[in-house]
Amino acid sequence: MKRASTEQTIGMIILGITMIIAVFPFLFMMIIALKPPGESVTGLNALYVINPTINNFFRINQLIPIFRNALNSIVVSTAGASTTVFFCALAGFAFAKYTFPGKEILFVIMIATMMVPEETGVIPVFIIVRRLGWINNLLSLIVPKIATAIGIFYMRQYITTFPYTVMEQARIDGCSEFRIFWNMVLPNITPALAAWGSISFIVRWNELLWPLLFMRSRVMYTLTVAISLLPTAEGLSTPWQVIMAGTAISVVPLVLIYFLLQRFQIAGIMTGSLKG
Amino acid sequence: MKGNSLGMRLWKARIVYLFIAPYFILFIFFQLIPLVWSLVLSFHSWSGLGEMTFVGMDNYRTLVTDDLFQLVLGNTVFYWIVSVITIIPISLMLASIINSPWLKRRNFVQTMMFLPYIISWVAAALVFRMLFDHEVGLVNIAISSLGLQPQPWLVSTRLSKIPISILIIWRLVPWYMLIIYSGLKSVDYQFYEAAVLEGANAFQRMVKITIPLISTILFFCFITLTIECFRIFAQPHALTRGGPGNSSMSIVQYLYINGFEFFKLGYASTVGYALALILLIVSAFQLRVMIKRNKEMNF
Repeated sequence: MKRASTEQTIGMIILGITMIIAVFPFLFMMIIALKPPGESVTGLNALYVINPTINNFFRINQLIPIFRNALNSIVVSTAGASTTVFFCALAGFAFAKYTFPGKEILFVIMIATMMVPEETGVIPVFIIVRRLGWINNLLSLIVPKIATAIGIFYMRQYITTFPYTVMEQARIDGCSEFRIFWNMVLPNITPALAAWGSISFIVRWNELLWPLLFMRSRVMYTLTVAISLLPTAEGLSTPWQVIMAGTAISVVPLVLIYFLLQRFQIAGIMTGSLKG
Repeated sequence: MKGNSLGMRLWKARIVYLFIAPYFILFIFFQLIPLVWSLVLSFHSWSGLGEMTFVGMDNYRTLVTDDLFQLVLGNTVFYWIVSVITIIPISLMLASIINSPWLKRRNFVQTMMFLPYIISWVAAALVFRMLFDHEVGLVNIAISSLGLQPQPWLVSTRLSKIPISILIIWRLVPWYMLIIYSGLKSVDYQFYEAAVLEGANAFQRMVKITIPLISTILFFCFITLTIECFRIFAQPHALTRGGPGNSSMSIVQYLYINGFEFFKLGYASTVGYALALILLIVSAFQLRVMIKRNKEMNF
């Protein structure tokens, strides 16, 4: 029994240290973001704040149009997540509950494309987006990823358990196939919709490469792009308080959503969906 | 008759095709056409304006002889090896601890530990940018308190890959920890109880029980981590801009710079195909192992 308790102590210590390492950068960011210009950010001074101020959050707006950028991110992530959830569930429903010619081959094609890195076709995608007139248009960040293979795969797994008998009964009652989906399937898979929706929201919010390519003016940048272009140089010449305020603006909404939706156990479902 | 019945079946399922149409239409326009087009481009020289010139294998020849490509390939392989040998063991260890029966408030611990994976690479990189700064950063303070020399982490060609690797480890461990943990939950706890009764310590239980039982999941982690590492872009882009002197540049950054800063669209597509080829080899390897495993299970 002695060994078990030693192992338990070591385990607790490792967990404690890991939790500090996981959370510390968030606290550090908030402390710096709340520091007035007069307070030092060097070394150990970075660990506390004497006179917290929210001015840095307005100073960052003088440097870059960050509230506009935040609005872009909100639009892209919200529109993206809600459309993705709908179209992935719709296609997932089709693959889970119907037999139709070509079903297997289409499904295999879909899964196979998950293996191809999107970077390979990025030059033609850029040209196509430009021809569509979608440069500096948020549509280019929403539409192309409206239905993703992984999302359809996940929804299919979830919908498979929906009983056929209910669908048959609905057909007898004269329901169309879309009404079955809309009125019976969707209300029954809300946990999956919420989970996949929040995952899509987070992924779109954090995306860098596509918005960096397609958004070509300061006001059209998403938050992630905007803060990635903040000027940082080695040493004290960088206004770290302002930079960290900008970073916090991009981080805090996600952390809030994460905690709010914790009852959906986003993390668990994310991994569960991959286990298949 | 047969064609007719197929036609009938297609017509009967028309609403179902409508359900899956959005994905496949977008797939054609934003994946399939770009892939084919990119392959064509990789044999051409084109700046995006004017005529394309067919150059045959020239782009591929340039690629294999280019010193910078070898450098970025080396850098990417560095990130890959460091990630694989650190992230998987650390995640496995943490997942096993979280899976221990004595742990209280497991949900709270999990929630906090998963936090790094929620935020973007860019946001995390900016915080790390400050932590690793050689004048104001806390990392150097910690190092000097241990009696070691402070280092110019981000401005040294020798060291610049280290902060990036640490950033990658910090943000990805929570993810792999959770995947492995979800696998551990399916392992029957009686195995461990029996092992403890026979006096096996934590390390022995790990090697003798855990690793063999969740080898499929560990292999899955290895493959996804490999793919993720070869696609690294945001991490060096946000933390060091690939510098100093290209010392931390990744393959995708090299593609980005060639395509969107030098406008060598043909050559950038060649880089894209080189990347796809590397990942194809990895996927083929994965497929082979999976098929082999399935056969073993069947016999």
